[in-house]
Amino acid sequence: MSESIERLLKNPVSFLTDAGPDEDIAISSRIRLARNLAGKPFPVAADLDLRREICDEVAKAAAQSGALGCPECFQFDPEEMDAIDREILFERRLASRDFLARAGGTRLLVRDDESSSVMINEEDHLRIQTLRPGFQLDTVWKIIDRLDSELAKQLDFAFDDRLGFLTSCPTNVGTGMRASVMLHLPGLVLTGQIGPTIQGVNKLNLAVRGIYGEGTDNRGSLYQVSNQSTLGESEEQIIDRLNSVISQLIAHEKEARRTLLERDQYGLLDYVGRSYGILRHSYKLSSEEAIKSLSGLRVGVDMGLFNSVGIRKVNELFIAIGAAHLQKSAGRELSPAERDICRAALCREKLKHS
Amino acid sequence: MLCDICKKNEATIHIKEIHNGQSHTSNLCESCAAEQEKNGKLGALGFNLAEMLHNLGKISADAAHTPDSEERNESVLTCPGCGWTLSKIKHSGGRLGCPECYHTFEKIIRDALSGVQRGTVHFGKRPPSASGNSRAALEAELKERQHELEALVKREEYEQAAACRDRILQLKEELAALDGGKNE
Ligand SMILES: [Zn+2]
Ligand SMILES: [Zn+2]
Repeated sequence: MSESIERLLKNPVSFLTDAGPDEDIAISSRIRLARNLAGKPFPVAADLDLRREICDEVAKAAAQSGALGCPECFQFDPEEMDAIDREILFERRLASRDFLARAGGTRLLVRDDESSSVMINEEDHLRIQTLRPGFQLDTVWKIIDRLDSELAKQLDFAFDDRLGFLTSCPTNVGTGMRASVMLHLPGLVLTGQIGPTIQGVNKLNLAVRGIYGEGTDNRGSLYQVSNQSTLGESEEQIIDRLNSVISQLIAHEKEARRTLLERDQYGLLDYVGRSYGILRHSYKLSSEEAIKSLSGLRVGVDMGLFNSVGIRKVNELFIAIGAAHLQKSAGRELSPAERDICRAALCREKLKHS
Repeated sequence: MLCDICKKNEATIHIKEIHNGQSHTSNLCESCAAEQEKNGKLGALGFNLAEMLHNLGKISADAAHTPDSEERNESVLTCPGCGWTLSKIKHSGGRLGCPECYHTFEKIIRDALSGVQRGTVHFGKRPPSASGNSRAALEAELKERQHELEALVKREEYEQAAACRDRILQLKEELAALDGGKNE
């Protein structure tokens, strides 16, 4: 198991390091599908033996259908892993905290390039996920639709003609689909437009969630926009609705950055420069400060202010500064204070030649 | 900043939730966040199904005093698939015990869903196993979708109405095919 983690860590994180459409503002696109096996209690009501049986059944179905490239895919049993290794899966966005906190009878299948994965016995028997860089929900839907169909050939999914796919929580019933795009919106944050923008998006029945912090002080200016409703619209309709709203958000963000540049060029340069300075020269760097500074650096990279720092290096750092990734590369457990020192060293090193 | 819940650990997770224009930020430590997520308090983005089911449960309890009401039955129902009751569902944060629960607690779930979901009938992908429909299922769906179509037209959601109409036509064809099969 730990051998798998070592192999995983050698992967570049493909959803961050591959090129994607609109990657300056849209960081990644993700779709999750909730599926359950017909006639079996949901994980919350299934005992350990049954949950283990379900793990085997799903893993076998994946192997037989070749879904996820199984049987040559990664297979993780969180119960057998230590806390740091489990956290690695979370930091790479392959598994939810809820899934990793469950006691026994769970398994995670991951395609070897990490683009798609299946959590077995999270809240539902299957949580299928596809995660790709940039803004490309249509492509992500094509990939996950095919993956789901491959699994459906081997597995009998709980489905109702009227209600669609039946899920443990009725908020997911119907398509069982949660589609989301992670956006970097510092322009809207700095121009004070983020609040009204979020309210506007909410009125369209879409959810906006700040990833690290609150409103105008959102460390990192990272937001996730996703559908709230799963019943009453087809997958394509939901994605179309998301696409049109997200395209508008991207346009607004570009507009806001132009406004900033016109109105207060030195203010913007100062913000980018200070962010870079902190990453390049500090010796103690908390996770919050690192995220905030990386966000500022990202703006500078998007504006073409840096020759030798690419957007992908910045993206990579967002993952590498995570507590588990730091401890893994240090090869031992680190106290929070030690982590801050290692985090600063890592950033200095990565930006050395810039 | 300390965690809002345990007030002991450093809060490393900051979740801003906005619902109906009201924003609220929770600052949580990792273990409390995992606990919250497990109880379904973070996942549903400002919407708490458990609370809604709880309120509906209260209505059911009141209704239990009225003889012969449909609600009365729901409050004491046990799902034959998993043995769960409404109170068990409430304690699991609005999670159901098994697919059969959707039939057992049909009315209460439908009421709870009308507030969150944009429609009442599934559109979109169907698994291969869903093709062999029984006549009763087809008829039930047809009736449901005809109501849905009216509502969509009223709300001027024409794109969805068109998809709904297509499905109605498809259902009518499938029903006609069943009739044809019987007459031969
Ligand atoms: Zn706490
Ligand atoms: Zn049940």
